[in-house]
Amino acid sequence: MNKGLIIAIVLIVAVVLFMTQSDKKEVSEPAMTKAPPPVQVEPSPAEPAAPEVSLQEAFEMNRAMYGKGHSFAWNGEQHTTDHPEEIEASKEATQANAEALLASAMAKNAEVAKLGFEWKLTGDILKKAQQSIDQGNFQQALNLAAQAKYHARIGIEQYHYAQANWHLSVPE
Amino acid sequence: MKIIKTLALNLAVASASQAALAADSGFDMQTVDPEADRIALQNYFKARFPETEIADYVNGIYAVDAGSREQWEELEEFPPYEFDVEKGEELFNTPFANGKGYADCFENGGIGIRHKYPYWNKDEGTVKTLEQEINECRTDNDEEPLAWGKGAIAQISAYMAWTSRDKVFDIQIPADDERAKAAYLDGKKFFYAKRGQLNLSCANCHVQGTNIRIRADLPSPQLGHVTHFPVFRSKWGALGTLHRRYSGCHKDSRSKPLKPQTETFRNLEYFQSYMSNGLVANGPGARK
Repeated sequence: MNKGLIIAIVLIVAVVLFMTQSDKKEVSEPAMTKAPPPVQVEPSPAEPAAPEVSLQEAFEMNRAMYGKGHSFAWNGEQHTTDHPEEIEASKEATQANAEALLASAMAKNAEVAKLGFEWKLTGDILKKAQQSIDQGNFQQALNLAAQAKYHARIGIEQYHYAQANWHLSVPE
Repeated sequence: MKIIKTLALNLAVASASQAALAADSGFDMQTVDPEADRIALQNYFKARFPETEIADYVNGIYAVDAGSREQWEELEEFPPYEFDVEKGEELFNTPFANGKGYADCFENGGIGIRHKYPYWNKDEGTVKTLEQEINECRTDNDEEPLAWGKGAIAQISAYMAWTSRDKVFDIQIPADDERAKAAYLDGKKFFYAKRGQLNLSCANCHVQGTNIRIRADLPSPQLGHVTHFPVFRSKWGALGTLHRRYSGCHKDSRSKPLKPQTETFRNLEYFQSYMSNGLVANGPGARK
């Protein structure tokens, strides 16, 4: 047989076999693994890649999953899942600290009330915080004042959100 | 938890579809158009509940939920507000210490005028409600004002509503007074703004959430909301005013409620009543 012809036949058989194997491999793999891996693009030193989620989103996700007192990394930095008010409440449980936090919570609640967005339970929480101080239970007072201040802060955020977005559910 | 998830999902779907329909005008003094708002609201409910006639929205949730309607119709055979209407008539006709009475304070002797409230008072630059003028009638005649939410004021209001049944709401927003339009816009904004710890607007329950279950309750449609007030609510076991209900709704979203007859609530009533223009007064009503 012609040597060239033999080489050609061997090459054709090899190609056919290779294609057959490739097809088999594709069929046998689960669909989920078919997608090619994402292309890794190195960020340029002058322009770092934007994080996939905002710090707020990362905070809320971690807070929802782990509660307070948890640490998480975001954009190369370490953060905790504590609200600012909880950090304030973690000070030493003294009368002075409890009174200071209660005073700032009352001021914040007055601010949200002025906007017309005070929450229903906040006033009672503030009263309970004062009662806790009167009874010498300063840690409880700190916790309650922190809760009330958090209500007020989110109420203020809610007000600003409402100003910008109230129209979204108006039928047209 | 499953109920909450289902509700949240339903509201999210309804809100998303509604947000897609929201246009980019009608939200400030330059573009607000009460009549366009009213027609848009009617069209919204026509699309949501095509089987319901617009005129039937005066019956609240009973216009769109057949099961609730059946129970309500049974209830209406012996209306729970009947004694209150009788008491209201008696109070209305009892002269003040100076010999005058409520009939002296109102147009047409106070008979058949409920559907004209609230209205814009140009001289005072504010929205006036029926209950507000009932109390003003008292103080003008050296009588003590009544408590706003329930009791005698609701009974007198119920009697006045009874004499106005089937009269068509035609709330006016005078074109020559920008303050009236501002009051309407303020009420509209209040209705659609989310507030409270549960982050709910009036619209979340009474537009997008209409007839979507919140635990065992079905929120009523905003269209026709004011026509049947004051109402005898089974939950209260008594008659109450519209502003009492506003306070209750406000609490339900875990907001600190405003006081009845504050300017904000009166503006809200102005907006809501304009939305019911063309519908008939059918108060007092009976509700769950």
